[in-house]
Amino acid sequence: MIAREMFEQFKQRFGPLILRADLPSDRRLFVFVDPSSVKYVCQHIFRELDARYVASIGSDDRPYSGNFLVAHNFAFDRDHLLCSVLTHLPPDDPRIDSITSVVPAAGWAEREMRDLVGIEPVGHAYPKRLVLPDGWPEGNHPLRKDVLWNQVPEQYDPDREFRFDEPPEGCTVVPFGPFHPTLDEPAHFRLYVEGEMVRGCEYRGFMVHRGIEKLAESVMSYNDIPMLAERICGICGCVHNVAYVQSVEEAAGLQPPPRAEYIRTIMLELERLHSHLLWVGLACHIVGFDTLFMQSFRIREPIMWMAEKISGNRKTYALCVIGGVRWNITPEIKTELRAVLDKLESEWRTVVAAVSRDKNIQKRTRGVGVADAGLVKNAGLIGPVARAAGVDIDCRRDHPYAAYDRVEFDVITEQGADVWSRVLVRAKEVFESIRIIRQCLEKMEDGPLQLEIKDELPVGRMGLSSVEAPRGESHHFVITGENNRPRRWRVRAPTYQNLQGVPAMIKDQQIADMTISLGSIDPCFSCTDRLETIDLRSGSVKVWSQEELLKLARKKVER
Amino acid sequence: MSQVWTILGALANVGLVLLVAPLAQGILRRITARIQSRQGPPLLQPYFDLLKLLGKEDLESGEAPVMQRFAAYLSLAAMLTVACLVPMGFAAPLNAAGDVILLIYLLSLCGICTLLAGLAAGSTYSLVGISREMMCMITLEPLFAIALLVGAVHSGSFRLDSVLRGSVYTAAGLPWSGVLMLAVMLLSFQAFVQRVPFDISEAETELMEGPLVEYSGPKLALFKYAQMAKLIIYSALFVTLFVPWGSGLIFPLGWLLFWIKVFVLVLLVTVVAATHARYRIDQAIRFFAGLMGISFVALILASYGY
Repeated sequence: MIAREMFEQFKQRFGPLILRADLPSDRRLFVFVDPSSVKYVCQHIFRELDARYVASIGSDDRPYSGNFLVAHNFAFDRDHLLCSVLTHLPPDDPRIDSITSVVPAAGWAEREMRDLVGIEPVGHAYPKRLVLPDGWPEGNHPLRKDVLWNQVPEQYDPDREFRFDEPPEGCTVVPFGPFHPTLDEPAHFRLYVEGEMVRGCEYRGFMVHRGIEKLAESVMSYNDIPMLAERICGICGCVHNVAYVQSVEEAAGLQPPPRAEYIRTIMLELERLHSHLLWVGLACHIVGFDTLFMQSFRIREPIMWMAEKISGNRKTYALCVIGGVRWNITPEIKTELRAVLDKLESEWRTVVAAVSRDKNIQKRTRGVGVADAGLVKNAGLIGPVARAAGVDIDCRRDHPYAAYDRVEFDVITEQGADVWSRVLVRAKEVFESIRIIRQCLEKMEDGPLQLEIKDELPVGRMGLSSVEAPRGESHHFVITGENNRPRRWRVRAPTYQNLQGVPAMIKDQQIADMTISLGSIDPCFSCTDRLETIDLRSGSVKVWSQEELLKLARKKVER
Repeated sequence: MSQVWTILGALANVGLVLLVAPLAQGILRRITARIQSRQGPPLLQPYFDLLKLLGKEDLESGEAPVMQRFAAYLSLAAMLTVACLVPMGFAAPLNAAGDVILLIYLLSLCGICTLLAGLAAGSTYSLVGISREMMCMITLEPLFAIALLVGAVHSGSFRLDSVLRGSVYTAAGLPWSGVLMLAVMLLSFQAFVQRVPFDISEAETELMEGPLVEYSGPKLALFKYAQMAKLIIYSALFVTLFVPWGSGLIFPLGWLLFWIKVFVLVLLVTVVAATHARYRIDQAIRFFAGLMGISFVALILASYGY
């Protein structure tokens, strides 16, 4: 169903509730509604039309339209359509009905909106602070345009501690994190444990925010941001790089040359290959099976070398600029890449054959960390977690971008909904990635790598881009702006949604299963923690004060 | 004069265990690395690791530092005392000092040390770790005790030298009870030496080393040393009890054969550890409980002379 037909359907259903609509293409639909009817419209879209919740965006639009802007994004995966429900809020009283009672998956996004933009979700089920540091004063919202990117409010109190909820009766608290051998990045799960059983948990993350969105909106330019975007994540950086560039291209109506699209596809799939191999290794390490951990890292290494040959870097490829890519794939690299893929395929076949027969690993992963289709829908889970529960979604097929509409591949699904199914999904996706890269190498046509862009990009246009990262859908939302930079850029990384499903996945399980359950979503905390103006560890260091440490760090950078 | 020999023999056994244990660990790490397509550390790395740890600052931490220190000393001491009771290619030096019951008690003492260490640390992780350790101990220790009892029943004596001489088998051949116990011990051996898939109480990726979470420097070195010694001593016990063949050969041959058998066992442990994932505590306990059932059958069979 193309956007126009969907819009007709909306008009019949909502009639006068729709203030105006924007249909920039067949696959995008922007609907502006009145603040009071947002909840009703979202409920209809999410429940009756069975759309998938993607993200909510709050934006300070006061300097331009005089209002605050809120967008709830949904995806109609079967109809290949991304839809955004937008509304303007008055500048003096930015309040909006919370949609969490009908769309539970929006829980975090609305809390983030409250923290950073100061838009109050009225009737939110759990309106606790999510993103801002513990000592940040109420009423200061860093993403508002009148707050400078490097401003720290005077009332900021680095010593204030986070107030956790009371544990339920009869449970002891097992702190999991902020530093733990299985967490590669800081995040804190406060587990409520009865004996060896986990009865619930509270999550406190967002400890390493780098203020990336604010930085982009205030000091960087369109072509700087791709390099910043890929630093959101150390594993799936290229995904953010491509997603950002695609959303700007969409907003500005630019079409990159075909060769650039093929190269983007190849790099994205290379990234998926090394990410999946890394994950299988880490998952095995978590359950104590270090041999496979080492072997999958060995198998993975040639992929890293290929990436280095193409881009000069094992990771952080610096691939895209607006309207194209920066690296070419030469005939020599093509031959070499084919050889690497052949070797990888045969080695991986051996590993998969060994793992799928191994009763020992299945014992630790079957029936563990279950996220069924119901949870997938309500918490908005995506990627291998959703596919392992039999939910057949994959942005590469559903919302094709780059050259994915020109290659053939299967979307792998499993029915078990547990950690074992996620292992299988990822293991099989490796073969699909190899297939995609081979087709791209075959079909890639000669031509320019970049589009020549002579004019300034148009202002105030919106662009959406969903890119299937190894962990699930990475969603970028851009409003183009003045001074050669976007007004608003919102990143919704896959872990942002998947983490919200974790409390339900680990409930009533053993502590021993907690780590592999969490590991099975392939969590990426740096992706989730991408925004914040200042990040400082709260005063636990006695000898060095924060200022001294900061000074030291700055001196080091200055050299 | 015999007392002097006893003391010298005990010193020799203790020295031998202290000397060989890190080497066994080194071999274990090297072989593991090879299975994992890695280079692996130098064979002597565990010696350097221990020396490095011993040379570090002796920090006091946790809830009860005195108990923490005591637990570290006790764990190595208990292990080395066991070493004096086990024949290492020769007759056990402290043969006359006690019987099989003493051996069983000393072996449980090692588990008690882990318990003390975990309690002294007082962190949530160590407490979860020791609760797992205790659950394992309750189901594991009887297995070894029954193996020794079966031997005692067959040999008609609790004396160390008569039990620790392949006594689970009788002169007449292979009784059912002996074969059953051999199977049980082979299946649970990994748990006795606390390696994957049964390193549940330490489980680095779940509990951050569990009971040892607060240990560092010299005290950690002692605990690590005790764990390395444990591998050697349990292997030696296993060999004396279940693989006695060839021990009667003249001096260098029998002695060499004994140590070859011990190292083959270490290799076996390595390979199993490298090819398995860690079990969850409930899965492990269920496994041990099954073995316990079998071993009771073996004990009953033994008492009827089978």
